[in-house]
Amino acid sequence: MNTHERIDRDLSERDFTVVGKSVKRSDTLEKVTGAARYAGDVALPGMLYAKMKRSNIAHARIKSIDTSKALALQGVKAVLTHQDVPRVLHAGSPHPRSASVTKDQYILDERVRYWGEGVAAVAAVSEEIAERAVALIEVEYDPLPGLFTIEAASDPAAPPIHENGLGQNYVLPPVFVTRGDVDKGFGEADLVIEREYDLGRPTPAYMEPNVCVSQWDGNGKLTMWTSTQSAFMVRGTLAEVLGVPLNKVRVIVDHMGGGFGAKQDLFQNEFLCALLARRTGRPVKMEFSRKETFVGGRSRHPGKIWLKQGFTRDGRIVAREARVTFNSGAYGSHGPGVTNVGTAALTSLYRCENVRLEGRCIYTNSPIAGAFRGYGVVQTYYALDLMMDEAAEKLGFDPAEFKLMNAVREGDMAPSGHPIVGHGLVDCIRRVMEETNWHELRRREKPETVKRRGIGIGCEMHGSSAYPGIKEQGNAIVKMNEDGTVTLITGTAGLGTGAHTALSQIVAEELGVPFEAVSVVQGDTDIVPWDIGAFASHTTYLGGRAAQLAAADVRRQVLEHAAPLLKAEPGDLAIRDGFVVVANGSNQSLRLSEAVGPQRGMPAVQLVGVGTYMPTKSYSFAAHFAEVEVDTETGEVAVLEVVPVHEIGRVIHPIAAAGQIEGGIQQGIGHTLSEDYVIDLTDGRSLNPSFVDYKMPLSMDMPSIRTIIIETAPDPGGPYGAKGVGEDPIIAIGPAIANAIYDAIGVRFHHYPITPEQVLNALKTKANETRQ
Amino acid sequence: MKPFEYYEPATLAEASELLRRLGKDASIIAGGTDLLVELKEDLRSAHHIVNIKKIPGLTDFAYDPANGLRFGALVTVREIETSPAVNGNYPNLAKAVSLLGSIQVRNRATVVGNICRASPSADTIPPLIADGASLSVYSGGTERSIPLDEFFTGPGRTVLVPGDIVTGISMPAPRPTSGRAYIKHGRRKAMELATVGVAVSMEHVAGQCSDIRIALGAVAPTVIRARRTEDLLRGRMIDAALLAEAAESAMQEATPIGNVRASAAYRRDMVGVLTRRAIGYAMGGVQ
Repeated sequence: MNTHERIDRDLSERDFTVVGKSVKRSDTLEKVTGAARYAGDVALPGMLYAKMKRSNIAHARIKSIDTSKALALQGVKAVLTHQDVPRVLHAGSPHPRSASVTKDQYILDERVRYWGEGVAAVAAVSEEIAERAVALIEVEYDPLPGLFTIEAASDPAAPPIHENGLGQNYVLPPVFVTRGDVDKGFGEADLVIEREYDLGRPTPAYMEPNVCVSQWDGNGKLTMWTSTQSAFMVRGTLAEVLGVPLNKVRVIVDHMGGGFGAKQDLFQNEFLCALLARRTGRPVKMEFSRKETFVGGRSRHPGKIWLKQGFTRDGRIVAREARVTFNSGAYGSHGPGVTNVGTAALTSLYRCENVRLEGRCIYTNSPIAGAFRGYGVVQTYYALDLMMDEAAEKLGFDPAEFKLMNAVREGDMAPSGHPIVGHGLVDCIRRVMEETNWHELRRREKPETVKRRGIGIGCEMHGSSAYPGIKEQGNAIVKMNEDGTVTLITGTAGLGTGAHTALSQIVAEELGVPFEAVSVVQGDTDIVPWDIGAFASHTTYLGGRAAQLAAADVRRQVLEHAAPLLKAEPGDLAIRDGFVVVANGSNQSLRLSEAVGPQRGMPAVQLVGVGTYMPTKSYSFAAHFAEVEVDTETGEVAVLEVVPVHEIGRVIHPIAAAGQIEGGIQQGIGHTLSEDYVIDLTDGRSLNPSFVDYKMPLSMDMPSIRTIIIETAPDPGGPYGAKGVGEDPIIAIGPAIANAIYDAIGVRFHHYPITPEQVLNALKTKANETRQ
Repeated sequence: MKPFEYYEPATLAEASELLRRLGKDASIIAGGTDLLVELKEDLRSAHHIVNIKKIPGLTDFAYDPANGLRFGALVTVREIETSPAVNGNYPNLAKAVSLLGSIQVRNRATVVGNICRASPSADTIPPLIADGASLSVYSGGTERSIPLDEFFTGPGRTVLVPGDIVTGISMPAPRPTSGRAYIKHGRRKAMELATVGVAVSMEHVAGQCSDIRIALGAVAPTVIRARRTEDLLRGRMIDAALLAEAAESAMQEATPIGNVRASAAYRRDMVGVLTRRAIGYAMGGVQ
C-alpha cells in the first residue's frame, strides 16, 4: 500500500491536472512488447564484434604483448594494444564543470593497476572468434607490489599507483571541513562515543551490461550508441581523446537498463570500440559479459569511518569529529566527488555546531570505485545514524525521540552551505513514529526465543543536484505543433526511472494540454540541448524545471498569438485541456489547433520555447522504519517490514516515486545484509564476479513495504516544488536495519554487510561474556 | 560458446553406442540448464552433445503405494514439484525441487540431470539419498540399478562410464511411520545455491526412531550420508539431549570447505542446527 499525501505549503493553491497523477508511463508499451531499443540491440550491416583482453595480475608493467597468433586467426580484423592507441591522459568521470575530476587514465596503458584491467582489444567477425583471439594474445608482465588495502596503500613507504605527486596514494589532497570549536564541544560533553565503521564493497549490478556500438561515416564522423547516463560527457571525452571536434562525435542513448550512477564513467570500451571501428572501416560492437561488468565496472567506495561524538546529558550533540577514508581502487573516477560529498554530509542530518571532519580517498590495486546511488552519504550516514542509536540508549532516550530532538530544521546550514528549507526530517520521523505505533512496539515483550524480532529507525537527507561540487545546468526545448500537440526535446537521459514521463507531465501541466499530447525527443547529442547527465537525484528537479520554463515560454507565445483572435489581453487567457480560454468565464474559447494552426491561407505559427535552469541546492529527507527477525541459531536476518516516509516536495508521479523508494530499499537491504564484491587480498583477484556469488536480494526476499510520501517542504527551485528521490531510500534503510538488529539481539555491528556468520559469532561472543 | 557436434539418437541403444564411441568428450543434454551455462561460460568443454530428448520412454512417471515412485530421465523438476503424489509422499523431495533455481529453470531442468551433474550442493540429491533412491542405468542393451548413495565419486564425478545412460530413478514408498524433511540454507529464498542442505528420512513411532537416513549437501566433495549419526539415533527415543548429540555428531561427519559463500566453520555449525531441525520437522514439527 502506498500513501501519498499532499500538504501544500507556501505554493500556489492551484489545481493540478497532470502533475501528481500516476499517468501511464510513456515507455510502457514499447518496453513490454520488447520494441524498446537498447544499445545492445543495435545491429548494423557488416558489424564486427569486439572483446577486451583483461589482465590476470593486479599491478604490473607490461613487458611485451604478442598479438601475432590472435591476428593470424581467421575472422580477426584488428587488434589494439597500448602501442596502437592515442596516449591522452583523461578523467574516467569527466564532468567539465567539476573541480574534482582526476585525469589519471589512458585508453590502454603500459601498466596495469587492477586485476582485470583491459590491456588489448580485438575486433572479429563474431564474438566467439573475438573471444578466441583474446585468449591467443600473450602478455608478459613485470609484477609490481600489489596494494590491496587502504592501510597498505597509504603507508608513506608504499610505491605510488599514480604519479600525481600527492604521496600516500592520495587521489586528492585530504578534504577538511570545520565548523565551530570541536575541542570546546568535547569539553562540554557528558558522554563521548568513538567508533570505527567498516564499509563493504557493494556494486550497482545494473541489469544491462556495458555495451557500445561505433560507426564512422565517410566524412570522419563517429556515431556511438552506448549505455551511459551522461551522453555529453562521453561525447566530450571521446572528442578530446580521439582528437576530433565535438560535431564529429554523435552519441545516441535510446533506452538504458540502469546505471545507478556508475554509468557516468567511461569504461575503456567506448574508446576501443571507436578505434577498432576506425581501424577496420566497419561498425563494431563491444558488449561486456556479466563477469566483465563486475570486474571492469564500478563499485561503491569501501573504506573506514572513524567517528567520535560528544553528547550532553540532556541529549544534545556538542562535538563531532570524523575521519572518512575511502578506497578508490585503481583509478580516481568519482573518488574526489564522493569524498567531498560524503564527508561534508557529516555536518548535517543531526544538528551539531562543532564539527571537524577529514576525508581521504586512497588509490589501491583493487576494483575501481565510482559513483553509486547515495554517493558517499550511504557510508557516512550509516556510521552517524548507528552512533545516534547507541548514544540514545546510553543517555536513556528513545532512539526515535533522540533523532527527532536532534534532526536538522528549517534554516540550519546544509552540507552545501545553504539554509535548509522546511522541517522535512522532523516531519518524516514524526510520521514514522505515528504510522508504526513506535512507542507501543518498543514496549512489546521480547521473549528469549530462537527467532527474535527487533525494530529500528534510520534517517537521511540528500541533495537534489550535485551543486556546489558541480555547477549544473538543465536545458530543454519545447515545440508546439500546429495541431496543439507538443514535442519536448530534452537532454535529460533516461536510466529507466520514468524521468521522461515526469518531464512530459510537467510540460503538459504548464501548457494546459493532456499528458498524451506531449512526446519526447531525447538521447541524441546531435539533436537535444546540452545536458550534464542523469545523476545526483536531479533529473526531475533540474531537467524538469528547464522543461517547465521552456513550456512556460511556449505558453506565453500561444497566449500572445491567441489574444487578438479572442479579442482579449494575453493576461486574461489560460490554456485548459487543449483549449485557450478567456479566464473571466465568458465561455469564449479556441482549440489550440485553431489558435496556432494554419488558417485561411496563413501558415502555422512557429512556437518554440527554450528553458535553461541552473540550480543551487535542495534537500530531500527520509526516515525508515524496519522490523527484522534474527534467527539466533543460524544468524540469518530477515527484514519483515519497512515503512519508509519520504519528504520530496511536490510529487510529480506518485507510483514512479514509490518505485524509486522500493528499489532503493531492495538495494539497501542487499548492502546491509548480503552484497559484497570481494577480492582476494593476496593477489587482488575477484572472488565473486557473478550473480551466483554476489548476493542481491530478489523479489522473494523483499519485505512488505508501506511507502508514505509527504510534501511538507517543497523547494522553490524545483518544478512546482519538486525535489529529488532517487538516492534517498538507499541511505536510510541500512541504519534502520542495523539498529533493528541491535533491538532484536542486543549486538551492535559497526560495518556492512552484516552476514549470518558474523551475527552468529557475535551472539556466541555475547553468550560467553554473559557467562563469565 | 565454442562450436560442437550435435546428435539426436532415436533409441537408447543408438545413444549408448554413440556415447561409448565418442568417449569422455561427449555430454548428454536433457534440460540443458547446467550444460549450456557451463559451455557458454567456458567452465566445461564438450565437442559432442548428445540430445536424449528424442528417445521414447524416458518421460514415464508412476507412483503406487506398494512400489513407490519411479520416473524417467526426462521428467522435469517442475513436474515433480507440482505432482500431488510427490507432495503427498515425499515432502523432502517436494521441498528440494521447489527451491531449485527459478520456475523458468525448473520447467526445463530434469531431476536426473540435476543428479548426474553431481554437484555437492545439488538440491535434489540429499532427499533422494535419504529416501533410498536407486538409478536405472542403461548400457549396451542391459539395464542395471545403482543405489544413489553409491553413485558419486567426487564433485562433478560419478561411477558412470561412456555408454552409460541414466534412464530413470526409483524409490520405495513411504510407510505410515515415515517422516521426511529437507532444509536448504542459503542467503536468498529463491535463485540460490545451498551453502548447506540437510535431508532426513526416518521411521518413527511415538518418539522412537526405528530407522533413519540423513544426507548432507554442500559439506563434502559429494552429498554424504551421516552414517554415524544415523547409528546414534536408530532405535532410540528422540529427545532434546539426543538431538543435541546428533547435531554434534553430524557436524563431525561433515568435511566442509570455506569459500566466498561461507566459511568451513559456519557450514559445520549449520550442519548441526539443520540436522537437529530437520529431524524435528520429519517427526512432525512445523517447518
